[in-house]
Amino acid sequence: MTDIRKWFMKSHDKGNANESKPTKQDKPSPAKLQPEKPMPGGQESSGRRKTSKYFTEKQKPKEETEKEELPAKRKNQKHSEDSSCGRGHGGRGPSATPAGVNTTASKKLKSGSGRGASQKYLDIEESDEDDVKETASPSKSGGRGRGGRGASATPAGGRGRGSGRGGFMNFGERKDPPHKGEKEVPEGASDCLAGLTFVISGTLDSLEREEAEDLIKRHGGRVTGSVSKKTTYLLCDEDIGGRKSAKAKELGTSFLTEDGLFDMIRASKPVKVPAQEESKKSVDKVVKPLSKKSSHKVEVKRSLGSGAPPAKPKAQNIEQSSLTWTEKYKPKVPNDIIGNQSLVKQLHDWLVRWNEQFLDSGNKRKGQKPNDSGAKKAVLLSGTPGIGKTTSAKLVSQMLGFQAIEVNASDSRGKADAKIEKGIGGSNANSIKELVSNESLSVNMDRSKHTKTVLIMDEVDGMSAGDRGGVADLIASIKISKIPIICICNDRYSQKLKSLVNYCLLLSYRKPTKQQMAKRLMQVAKAEGLQVNEIALEELAERVNGDMRMALNQLQMKNISPFTAVDKLFGFNAGKLRMGERIDLSMSDPDLVPLLIQENYINFKPSSAGKDDNDMKRMDLIARAAESIADGDIVNVQIRRYRQWQLSQTSSLASCIIPAALLHGRRQTFEQGERNYNRFGGWLGKNSTMRKNFRLLEDLHVHVLASRESSSGRETLRLEYFTLLLKQLTEPLRLLPKDEAVRKVVEFMNVYSFSQEDYDTIVELSKFQGHPNPLDGIPPTVKAALTKAYKEGSKAQMVRAADLVTLPGIKKAPKKRIVAMLEPSDDGLGEGVGDTLAESEEENSSDTDELGGTTAGEKLQLELQSLNSKATQVHLDLKGTGTSSAKKTPAGRGKGGSSATEKKSVRGSGSGRKRKR
Amino acid sequence: MLWLDKYRPKTLDRILVHEEIAQNLKKLVTEQDCPHLLFYGPPGSGKKTLIMALIRQMFGPGAEKVKVENRTWKVDAGSRSIDIELTTLSSTNHVELSPSDAGFQDRYVVQEIIKEMAKNRPIDTKGKKGYKVLVLNEVDKLSREAQHSLRRTMEKYSAYCRLILCCNSSSRVTEAIRSRCLNVRINAPSEEQIVKVLEFIGKKEGLQLPPGFASRIAEKSNRSLRRAILSFETCHVQQYPFTSKQAISPMDWEEYISEIASDIMNEQSPKRLYQVRGKLYELLSNCIPPEIILKRLLYELLRKLDVELKHEVCHWAAYYEHRMRLGQKAIFHIEAFVAKFMSIYKDFLITTFG
Repeated sequence: MTDIRKWFMKSHDKGNANESKPTKQDKPSPAKLQPEKPMPGGQESSGRRKTSKYFTEKQKPKEETEKEELPAKRKNQKHSEDSSCGRGHGGRGPSATPAGVNTTASKKLKSGSGRGASQKYLDIEESDEDDVKETASPSKSGGRGRGGRGASATPAGGRGRGSGRGGFMNFGERKDPPHKGEKEVPEGASDCLAGLTFVISGTLDSLEREEAEDLIKRHGGRVTGSVSKKTTYLLCDEDIGGRKSAKAKELGTSFLTEDGLFDMIRASKPVKVPAQEESKKSVDKVVKPLSKKSSHKVEVKRSLGSGAPPAKPKAQNIEQSSLTWTEKYKPKVPNDIIGNQSLVKQLHDWLVRWNEQFLDSGNKRKGQKPNDSGAKKAVLLSGTPGIGKTTSAKLVSQMLGFQAIEVNASDSRGKADAKIEKGIGGSNANSIKELVSNESLSVNMDRSKHTKTVLIMDEVDGMSAGDRGGVADLIASIKISKIPIICICNDRYSQKLKSLVNYCLLLSYRKPTKQQMAKRLMQVAKAEGLQVNEIALEELAERVNGDMRMALNQLQMKNISPFTAVDKLFGFNAGKLRMGERIDLSMSDPDLVPLLIQENYINFKPSSAGKDDNDMKRMDLIARAAESIADGDIVNVQIRRYRQWQLSQTSSLASCIIPAALLHGRRQTFEQGERNYNRFGGWLGKNSTMRKNFRLLEDLHVHVLASRESSSGRETLRLEYFTLLLKQLTEPLRLLPKDEAVRKVVEFMNVYSFSQEDYDTIVELSKFQGHPNPLDGIPPTVKAALTKAYKEGSKAQMVRAADLVTLPGIKKAPKKRIVAMLEPSDDGLGEGVGDTLAESEEENSSDTDELGGTTAGEKLQLELQSLNSKATQVHLDLKGTGTSSAKKTPAGRGKGGSSATEKKSVRGSGSGRKRKR
Repeated sequence: MLWLDKYRPKTLDRILVHEEIAQNLKKLVTEQDCPHLLFYGPPGSGKKTLIMALIRQMFGPGAEKVKVENRTWKVDAGSRSIDIELTTLSSTNHVELSPSDAGFQDRYVVQEIIKEMAKNRPIDTKGKKGYKVLVLNEVDKLSREAQHSLRRTMEKYSAYCRLILCCNSSSRVTEAIRSRCLNVRINAPSEEQIVKVLEFIGKKEGLQLPPGFASRIAEKSNRSLRRAILSFETCHVQQYPFTSKQAISPMDWEEYISEIASDIMNEQSPKRLYQVRGKLYELLSNCIPPEIILKRLLYELLRKLDVELKHEVCHWAAYYEHRMRLGQKAIFHIEAFVAKFMSIYKDFLITTFG
């Protein structure tokens, strides 16, 4: 164990050498591999044995080393994970060649060997056992697969239907596969097709193209639209000629049938190795003994080579796939930590010197030079969450061979009982004490083997009510401690830690820059095979405010875009998804996914409907789906309005999962030339249009109310008035001579105090798709004249869109539109024939002050008076400007005369309106 | 000015259609203290006109001097404070508003406004009424919570504040509120009454009405006086002098909905459903309330439907309408109805005609 570690340390120190090593080793291997085809197993395994020995030794350290040389190495390793299977295929390629009738073997060989090369050292991840299986079983199955294909397809494979993938999308009709759904689609290892590129051509035997595509993708393969040099297989079943197969022949791409594909996938099935070995026995007698021998050999050699436990990495692999990314991509060595390298170094130094300073020289804790970084017995790491405090503490101690004992807020850390003897079985604090004071014991016991311990007190600022006396106790522990203590907190200036700070070496972590983070995120994204652009990552890094952990979490979530989620839910294989997966998909964006589903569900031709004449079943399913979506809406109301968040799964069930389950299948387009992809949810756009229109209508409504001609509600206005209003506003323009028409319309608008915008609103809201525009047939000159006339009139008599005035005294300083109205006083003109309305702009700040008061709705009486004065002012203004408003102003004036005593005849009232537009 | 507004009766005495109710209301106000009132009846029957006239009767012509305000209420709802904005129409003595515009926060509006009005009671009460009037429109659209909170405040502040509630259907107003009010049912005017009003307007405007024309309008108006007067004027704008055969054009949105209905009847396929959805969106974004769309759509569909199916279709329409009120995204529910209808109708067509 120890020498492994030593070894690791060395390798870690000179990582570069380490890195280059495997590559060197690889080079010969491909060469070896090819010529000795008949005995591939043995050769290969021996070649591998070397590497594997190397790596098995390294196995344990591997974890740490892995992240050491950042980008380059990781990429390699990553690649290895992916392509470990690809290698299997590569290896298989050659072995199969003799059996198969493949004319393109030479090319294949090349590619296979190339892959083999890269795989060689990539095998690290896999345990040897695994390797053997991989090499053995695929080689057999590959042979079989190709053999089968050789019989059926290769002779026929001369032709392929030539139509680009983009092209077929628009083909509404494609032949259904002849044996649709009759074959069982195999499940294989998720990455067994990794590194292979497929092109699908023509109609397959039992799968729809989309299904086949999906199948390949699920197993890690790529599917492209047209044949190129990179294409590994052309997948086709039928005897068809075309561009694709011609090109494939030209390039020497190998052909593959659906059955072949299935075999490939089945072969990779990771669990059923014994079964496969058996089947291999029966099928391929030549390969069997070889592989068996080889596996034996390898096993023997391994056991000789090193005592490292076999097969562990495999388990690890599986585990890794289910890990959250924060765990998976946790820094494995201190150098991996983003930012704060100097602090990590400091921590490292402190820890290194700790022993000599405090143990060797006895209890020297008092009287140390305060500035010496080693002088403090404990260290306090502080910084915002997610920047790697805990991780660095752990890594550093791990690197130095300390055994880290972590105590965090989930453990009780109260004041220990005074009597430590009670400790065992007592509170955790006691065990801390014990730990702290017991160190000498362990040192004496086996210093060489069992190592030093370090205590990591996580989240010390979280010591609260439950941990009474915790901090004081901690300080006491520090004083007597015989092991180093690392304390971690978020806020070092916290009141609670005031006393602790004096006993600790303070290390404050800073947030990493967004570039640093983006770089790391990029690596992760690459490793996960995500396509993300750097800008987006920087944006993400900025958003999370330095919190690497959160950034990774976010990135993992981002992984599923709503569109992908919808695609998957509606995909051919949606039926195979587990409930948990479906929920995850629909929850990836609980707002957007339902909208996308709602937008697109009609487009799918459900595969469950089977033979469906004239869409009867489909229509029924759609009705059910629609109802379920509506259910989802109702549940959503409960969630949002009454905060019943526990219903969120119900909501995603109703609005996503059920409709998708009912309708998943092939997508169909409705219009010629429409792209066959899911549309973006139309609801959002339409809803915002609707809201905007409602606001416009509300404006109009207010104007109507302000004109006091009508007190109808908004809906009535829209439903019943609009037809007539539109007629009144447009008909004259069409029929009457220009000047008269304009005059008439402007007059009408003034009666209801419509503004130009209101005019537009009325026209806009009366437009229906497929109906003629209400403004058709009105000559442009008339329109222009109308606008002009209206503007002229409005200059003097009315102001609609008054200035946006800030009202003092209101916190948010909302922008209010002040509309003042002049109107006749109560001189019995109840019928309202001659009542006028004029509005004037209030820019005067004093006025707005008063208005502010009124809008706040205080005393109506008071308000009246204040308004009176203002109205007078407005009235005067009118007199000054009132040339064009001949009709109105005199009316006002006349009234002014009639009741000048008390009310000045004119009363203004202010209405402040907040404009949201 | 539109005739509708021009000839709207401003006082109780001038009211033509519901004379009896008008006289009763007058008596109520002049002779005794006025209770809370709940006016209900179909649209276009004259509720609003009656209310306005009633208020004028209470407070004199001053009640007509209203101002429009967009008011904001700051409400403390537990942990957070909510800003609610509403348009109010107010005079010195009364305030009118539609609290249902505040969506599901209408409860706060109802509570606040009444308290506020009660606080600012008029100082000088001599010769005036000692209370103010609060007119609440569309009470039937108030959420249940709002109606419940209205209940208590109605009683508590009844000394300073009278409520006049106005709604289309009393069935959606809770029992508790109905029992606290004097319920006034305003019937839709009969066709003869409408004809009478139309002729009255015609006379005032000096128009020549061909015989039978007014009654045709009245027939088309679905017994809504407002509708009748508006379409009367629409006809006038379109063509004058009138001819007895003149077409009475429907509302723009009604026309559109009937197009949708025939679309649905002609073809039942996912593609058609998609097109219908587009048209429904069009209606919604033109501010046509979804309930009205659904109702009208049903009406149009029933006209063309086989008798056998009518019952079932009505059932589903009611079902989805109810759910639409529970939900928020109206289009989902209307679409669900259309899909359901298509499914039923298609099934029907195939089973009957093969």
